[in-house]
Parts: sequence; structure tokens; C-alpha cells
Amino acid sequence: MAEEEEGKEYRWETGYEKTWEAIQEDDEGLLEGSVAEIIQRAKRKRQAERHGNTRLGMMRHLFLVIDNSDCMSNQDLKPTRQLCTIKLLEGFIDEFFDQNPISQMGIIITKSKRAEKISELAGNPRKHIKAVQQLTQVACSGEPSLQNALELALRSLRMLPSHASREILILMGSLTTCDPGDISVTVQNLKAQGVRCSVIALAAEVHICHKLCRETGGLFGVILDDCHFRDQLFQHIDPPPAATFLDSSLIKMGFPHHLMQEGKEASLTMCMCHVDSTDGEGGRLNSGGYFCPQCCSKYCELPVECKACGLTLVSAPHLARSYHHLFPVDNFKELEFRDMQDKIELCFACQKRFGEHDKHVYECGTCSRIFCLECDMFIHDLLHTCPGCATNHSTSQSMSNDSVPPR
Amino acid sequence: MPSGTGKTVSLLSLIVAYMIANPLSVTKLIYCSRTVPEIEKVLEELKKLMTYYEKERGQAPKMVGLVLSSRKNMCIHPQVSKERDGKIVDGRCHSLTASYVRERHNYDDSIPICSFYEGFDIEGREVQLEPGVYSLDDLKEYGQERNWCPYFLARYTILHANIVVYSYHYLLDPKIADVVSKELSRSSVVVFDEAHNIDNVCIDSMSVKINRRIIDRSTANIQLLEQTVNEMKEDDAKKLKEEYQRLVEGLRDASVARETDVVLSNPVLPDEVLKEAVPGSIRTAEHFVGFLKRFVEYLKTRLRVQHVVLESPASFLKDVYQKVCIERKPLRFCHERLASLLRTLEIADLTDFSPLILITHLATLVSTYTKGFTIIVEPFDDKTPTVSNPILHFSCLDSSIAIKPVFDRFQTVVITSGTLSPLDMYPKILDFHPVIMSSFTMTLARPCLLPMIVSKGNDQVAISSRFETREDVAVVRNYGQLLVEIATIVPDGVVCFFTSYLYLESVVASWYDQGVVDSLQRNKLLFIETQDAAETSLALLNYIRACESGRGAVLLSVARGKVSEGVDFDHHLGRAVLMFGIPYVYTQSRILRARLEYLRDQFQIRENDFLTFDAMRHAAQCVGRAIRGKTDYGIMIFADKRFSRADKRNKLPKWIQEHLKDSLCNLSTEEAVQISKRWLRQMAQPFSREDQLGVSLLTLEQLHSEEMQRKQQNTADQKL
Repeated sequence: MAEEEEGKEYRWETGYEKTWEAIQEDDEGLLEGSVAEIIQRAKRKRQAERHGNTRLGMMRHLFLVIDNSDCMSNQDLKPTRQLCTIKLLEGFIDEFFDQNPISQMGIIITKSKRAEKISELAGNPRKHIKAVQQLTQVACSGEPSLQNALELALRSLRMLPSHASREILILMGSLTTCDPGDISVTVQNLKAQGVRCSVIALAAEVHICHKLCRETGGLFGVILDDCHFRDQLFQHIDPPPAATFLDSSLIKMGFPHHLMQEGKEASLTMCMCHVDSTDGEGGRLNSGGYFCPQCCSKYCELPVECKACGLTLVSAPHLARSYHHLFPVDNFKELEFRDMQDKIELCFACQKRFGEHDKHVYECGTCSRIFCLECDMFIHDLLHTCPGCATNHSTSQSMSNDSVPPR
Repeated sequence: MPSGTGKTVSLLSLIVAYMIANPLSVTKLIYCSRTVPEIEKVLEELKKLMTYYEKERGQAPKMVGLVLSSRKNMCIHPQVSKERDGKIVDGRCHSLTASYVRERHNYDDSIPICSFYEGFDIEGREVQLEPGVYSLDDLKEYGQERNWCPYFLARYTILHANIVVYSYHYLLDPKIADVVSKELSRSSVVVFDEAHNIDNVCIDSMSVKINRRIIDRSTANIQLLEQTVNEMKEDDAKKLKEEYQRLVEGLRDASVARETDVVLSNPVLPDEVLKEAVPGSIRTAEHFVGFLKRFVEYLKTRLRVQHVVLESPASFLKDVYQKVCIERKPLRFCHERLASLLRTLEIADLTDFSPLILITHLATLVSTYTKGFTIIVEPFDDKTPTVSNPILHFSCLDSSIAIKPVFDRFQTVVITSGTLSPLDMYPKILDFHPVIMSSFTMTLARPCLLPMIVSKGNDQVAISSRFETREDVAVVRNYGQLLVEIATIVPDGVVCFFTSYLYLESVVASWYDQGVVDSLQRNKLLFIETQDAAETSLALLNYIRACESGRGAVLLSVARGKVSEGVDFDHHLGRAVLMFGIPYVYTQSRILRARLEYLRDQFQIRENDFLTFDAMRHAAQCVGRAIRGKTDYGIMIFADKRFSRADKRNKLPKWIQEHLKDSLCNLSTEEAVQISKRWLRQMAQPFSREDQLGVSLLTLEQLHSEEMQRKQQNTADQKL
């Protein structure tokens, strides 16, 4: 994972390339350059589109559909498409629950013309990660079936209450799908049910996937390499704007405290999350835990849905973390670096010296600090707070004042 | 430029604007395209243009634009329109609308006539069509409402309509042009769209092919004719006499007959011939029938040959004179005379007489032209030398003959196509002096086409469809390998073109043995074009279904076939096109050889140049199927070593050449696959309108800016 994040791979692992021809690409054609620019612009655009005061579907119910067919053993992602996907997914699942603590996820794989649910819709990242990790043992075979997978996901999603946002995210390596019936009917069904389907294709643009996304309002993306794959995947971490017909309703939630019975001998109890697991790893008896305020079942981890009474159990920080999606940092102003050349040398955040290839630099509207593109991305995607504003006393004050009253 | 980039609408808007500004100097626009769907597309563009005028100026220009197509596409008669075959529709229509049928109907109600034609005949001629654009469906609806025949309405209206859209056969084929387009005014602008094959259309329209079957059927025709003449002589000798009188007075009067009777047509006859009287030897009906009999007998003897005969029209005429004492002059009138006779005899169903009409057509052509034609008699087909199947080809060698009247008659003629290349060949073969000749490239915001020349397989064996190597196992295997690899990495539809049906069949057979077909079917479904039209359209339909549903499909088809000419594979229907080999025309054909010789002698075009030109325009036509517009993208693979040679590469259209960099020539299968993989991913990135702005899409301000205008000047490569 660390290797991939650096965007570096071994020389012999790179694709077939004629390096001597790469030199002239900048003079004419601008093939790589122009496409890279389009991607960068797309990133910025995505960010620009996101602004406060939109209604977001925060209680997400996401089904991950993972293609496990023959072509996932292709080696154009290293070491194979399947392994690379699994690696990225581990990160994704963690991050997903980190950013969307009150959401649920389920996992479906499709291979040999069938679809199979390997993990039920649930809010526990560990279980999902384990299920995904086990996929490394599963051999890739046959063709995938998009229709079967969608139907399977739809069967579970159909049951959900009306305020929940329903999503399907498909990781598609194959360029073909082998379906039992007319897939367009399934697409119409999904549309009618308000299920938002997104596809990340690992090879090329397949018409039916594109159509599926267009019809259901999801995102369609094709990866360029593993870094881009990561970007594509992680953009699904942000909650999508709520579909207009989603009901708003009040949801009952429990905020259990972590209780340690002190003083006297703690009675050892099993927690509900591990009570029926057989592998013994987490099934030890312990004394502390979170107790459901309604029925007093014990859980070792939050967030979780109470198995006994069905109450959603979260902690306050979880909700707070979901909260920042509603109040993102304002977009930075894009400035031509050429005009700024003599005034500014370093990125305020990472202290990088601006060079020739920085075409644009970014200025925070509140504190007027200048940032590079990478930091701009980082601030908006992960940090959710501007370091310039935070370090400056007056702005940080005004900022915190600003965001406390709900806008 | 490939289609979808705005050729049609640019031409239309320019000419319509000119017509509005100078209503006197340009009165009419005649827009010719090739197929019915293409004609429909032109009308759609025209409608958009008119809506735009309406939006900008408050009212649409007072112009009538309409389409003319065959009866088959326009008929609204409840029974006749059910027929599938165009000839049958024509025949049945004629049997309902001919003047004598209608006359007979007047005193005998049991004889059926077409109510729509009657409706049109009574009221339609006085009323002018409202200004507007009428497509096929509009005309049909209009006809239904008023009970008028749309076909005759359209034929009548093209005389005063401002914009006429029809197939270019209506202008080039002398048999039809004489009926339909005779009275179009000189101050018209004629546009030939999709004109890359215009020379072949010209040639086909002037050529006649006669085999045993036609001879046999025309003999039967003559017998029927004879019988009818005899019957009529007994019943109604007066009529025959009248006709005789008419013929004495000259053909001019004969052709004044009402329009519906003019189903029979008149090949390009010089005007003076029409003014002359029909020669005495064929004036009476019996003599003419006898004359025809002799001529057909003569043709029959000519077909009885053991070896190939090649001769000029002059020596053919001499031979006719010696053998059966037929002179040149009566032969010239043959066609017109038969038309007149059939009219007199009131033979309703003309479809039965098509063989005889063909023969008279031959007679007239052979006696009218001595240059630019050749007669070839082949005793058997080259593919089946043991089966006797004699054919007499009367073949036109000079494509300029058919198009000459068009150049002479109209003040402006525009020839355009997406794959008109190399440009300088067309003035030569059509024999005209272009006023302006230019070739335009495409400005694209992203490299949305990827032409590649794959010259060797993974095992470094050169691949080529050269005659010597085409059966080589290594070559066939490498072709298979290439297709399989491309099919695994390219989504949705892949189309392959082979050089001929024969080659397609042999390659698929050996792929089957080598297991290529199996590995192909793992990724995509396989469809094959055959010579049977119904089978092919079924295959095409299912091909589209497979692409739509995400299963993906491969279509194997043939250059110069139905698929390569008329079918578009836009977006997902054709993400990659492979051209296996260079689609040379069958060079052993005697007709082609005769034409090449003629081109060399008359126009100083070297044989090889013409062959390469012809092959490359077909190759370009095939691969051009994939790109239909600027948002589309597609891979074009030329799989033959010979494509990388300069003489072939330079003959590709400019918009392909521009993207065919040196680094994309001479690739191996593996290299091509790697390049395509990366390219497909790049092309799949979201591409919006804003990305095009300023590059391939201009706002009004950008268009007016000086820099842009200078750029335009540079790109429009003007050659005079």
C-alpha cells in the first residue's frame, strides 16, 4: 500500500513504453499532458461542486460489488488487479466508516456468471475487511454477471427505510457481462427504487455500465493506474447529495458510555459483537465495554446497530465527523502562478518550493495563504480545516464562531 | 472529416444563406446523398437550420424543402405498400395509375385504380405545398390527410421546390434522371454528399450485363409481345395505325404522354435523335417485334462461346450488321420504340418486361457510344471454370460520361465526402476542372481516434493479405491472435473487415481449427456478414443487442459489402475497427483490366495508382465507420505490412493521416495492444463540453477573434 501511494513502481513493472518517444510528446500532440490536465480539472471541479448547505444522504447503505472474474487476474495493476483492488478496498472500508460512521456496507462478489454475497449489510468495518481479505484465497474465474449482482444487492436494499440512501458501487474489471435476462429492466428497477449505482471500471468504458450510472445518477469512472484507482475509489467516501425523494425523518440513536466497573471485581462478560463468533480471537471475556442505553447489551466497539433492540449506537465524535461533510472548507481561489512568481515562493502548508510545473497556486479566501495543488486537495479531502486559518488566532476564532451556529 | 462533424449542416447553411441573399442567381438546391437513412439525416439537419432561422429572424424563410425517394419508400396504398421488393411496388403502382388503366376504369368500375393518385390528380396540381421541410414521414402524413399520393406529389413538387434531397441515382442514372430530373433549372446548386464512390455509380448506371436467363426471359417476352400485337391487330387495328402515324411524326410527340406512362426510360440520347423520326424499318409493330427477335437471337449466338471475347462497340455493330443485317440507326431507337409499343399495347405490369427492356437498353447504348465502352463475353465464372455460365458484359469504362450532363447543366456542383482522398484523383477520373478543391482536417480537443498499422504478429512474422501469403498458417494465426487480443481489451463492439467473402470464409474456417474462435467467444459474441441481405441484417441486429446489453460482440464483415457502406457503428457499437489486409478490388477481372487500360490511355492514370487509390478509399471508408462525431472515439487498426508504405499511407484521408504518427506504424500485435489499453483508459475519462470550448468548439466571440480567423485560414489547405 505504501508503495502504491508513492506512485512509484519498479522499472520492470511499468507498462510497455517507448521512452524515446515520450520526449516529443510535449512539443506537439500533448497527449499525456492534455489528458492529465483534464483529470486535474475534473478533480477541482468535483471539489467546486461540493459546497455547504446541500442535503446529503448521511445514512448510507452501500453495496460493494467486486468483480472476481477471469480478467481480475490480469497483471496491468500490480501484482494483479484482484490483489491491488483488495489492498485499496481495505483502506477504503476503513476510511469509509471513519468518515461515515453511521453508514452500513455489504459486499457482493460476482464470478462464473453468478453473484454471491460475502458480507451482509452491516456497520462493522472489521468484518468487511476480513471478508475482503479472504478474497485473496479465491481464484478468479469465468465471466461476471452484472445483472445477478445488481438483483442480489437490490433484494437487500429494497427492505431499507425510506430515509436511508441506497448505493451500489461496482468495481468492474471485465469488459463483458453474462446475464440471464434483459439487463435494462434491472436498470429501470434500480432507478425506480432510487438506488444510486456507481461503477469504477478497471479497463475501459463499457456502454452498459455507463448507462447504468447515467440512469441512476451515479458516477462512472475508468482508472488510469493504481493512483488514479485510489482517487476514483476514495471519492465515494464523501456522502452523495441526497436524492430529492428521500424522506427526512428523525432517527433514534443511542450514545452509550464506555463503562468500566471500578472498585469491585469486574464481572467478565462477553460482548455482543463476538458472542457468536467461533474463531475465539475476539471472543474473550472482558470487563469493560459500551452498553446500550436501551437494553444494556454490551459492545466492544462503536458504531454498531444493537443486535438486541436494533438501536443505532454511536459516539458523539462519530456524529461530529459526519458533520463536517455538511460544512466543508470553502473553496480556494485558483491563481496563475506566473503572476505570483515574485511574491510567493513556498506553499504555506508543506513548505514546498513552487517550481516550473506548478501552473496554478491556490489562495484561501479567509486567511489569504497560498497553497499548492496537493495541499489544496489534502485540506479539502481529509483535513477539513485550513491550516492557515487554524494557526492564525483571529481567523481561527472567527472560523470556530462561524461554524458553530448552523448555517 | 468523418461524418458527425458537421459537413452536411455547413453546406446547407452556406447554400441556404446564399439562396436567401441572392434569390435570383441560385434558385434551387439539389442535395444528393447515397442511402435513405443518410437522406433522412440531411432533412433533419435542414429542419434544424430552418428552426434556427425562425428563432433568429422571427420567421422561417419561405422555402419548400422536400425529399424524393422510390415508390417503395413513399407509397401509402394499403396493399401496394406492403410489398417488399421495389420493382414489384413500381409495377403494381403502374398497373393502378397508368393513363389507359384509368381510362378503362371510367367505363368499368371493376378495374382497380389507386384512390390516392386520383386524389392527387384532381386537386394536387393546383395547390402549392406550404413552405417548410418535408421528410418522408411528413409527406406520407400529408398525403394521408389529403388523400394524395405522396410519391407523385413529391415528383410534381420538385419542379418548384427550393430544396430537393434525393439519392444521386436520380441525377446520374440516365434511365431515371430523364424522368425525374429533366426539367430542373440551370441555376441550381447540386451537392453530391458521400461521393467517394461516385465514379462507380456512374459506371454502374451505364453498364449492362446479360446472361442466358435474361435472353430466355426476353425471348418469352417477345412471344408475348407478338401474341398481343396479333390480338390487337384483330380487335383494334386502328390503335396500331395511330401509333404508326405518331412515329412518323417523330418521337417528340410520343414522349408527351402523361407522366405515369414514362416508367420506361431513355438512356442519354443526344437531342437530335429524339427529334428525328423513328426509322421505317421498325415503325410497324410486327416489324419491330421481328427486329427484336433477330437481335436477341444474335445475342444468343454471341453467348455461345468457349473462350473470352473482348471487343469494341464498333466491331460489335459491324458484326451485328453482317450476321443479322441490323443497322446502327434502328438500334439507337430500339429503347424508345419498345416504350412506345408497350404503351400502345396497354401492358400494365411492366416488371415482366424488364429483361427485354434491358436488351433494348443495351442496343441503344451500344449504338450511341463508340468510345468509353467495351464488350466482354465470358463463357464461365472465374471461380467456377467448369460450369458454363456465359455472360455478356457491356461495360462502361469512363465514369465521366454519366456525370457530364450534370456538369454541363448546372451552374454549381459540389462533390464532398468524409473519405475523398486523394483529392486530385477525382477530377481526373470524372474529367472536370475543379474551381475550388480543398481538404480539411479536424480540430479535436483530444485525440479521439487511434489509427495504427500492425505489420507483424508477436512472432515477428509479417502479416499481409498478399496473394502469396494469405493462406499461410502463420499469417492467419497472427490475424486471429490480433483479433483475440483486441477483443479482450476493447469494450463492447469490435468490427473487422476482410478483403473478400472468400477470404473471410477461409480465414474463419482455419480459425475454427486453430481454436481462435473459441477464445474469441470467451470475451465476445461472434457475428458474420454473409452475402445474404436478410441474414446479414439479422446478424447486425443481434450484434447491436449484444453491444447494448454489455455482452460485447465482434462482427466479421467484408470491405465493399453492405456493412462497410451503409452502417454506422457509433460510440459503443464500434470501439475498434480492424482492417485485415488491403481491400484491393479483384484484379483478375476483365472488366477492371479494360477500365484500367482505358484510364491509362485516356487520362494517363497508372494502373497501380488507381488500384491503390481504390483500395485505400475503401479501407478509409471501412475504418471511418467507427468515428461518428467529436465525442465518439475509436481504434482503427490496419493489419497489413503494406499499409506502412508511403504510397498507401499518403492516400488515407487527411484526418486519419494526421493522427497516424510514425510511432504508430509498423507495430507488432503486443505493442498495439499496449498502446490501445492506455489510450482506451484515457478516452474514458469524463469529457465535457467545456473541454472542447476554444479548441474544437468556438463561441461567437472566439470565432470573431483575429487569431482564430488567421488559424482557420492556415488550416484550410487551399489548392487550386
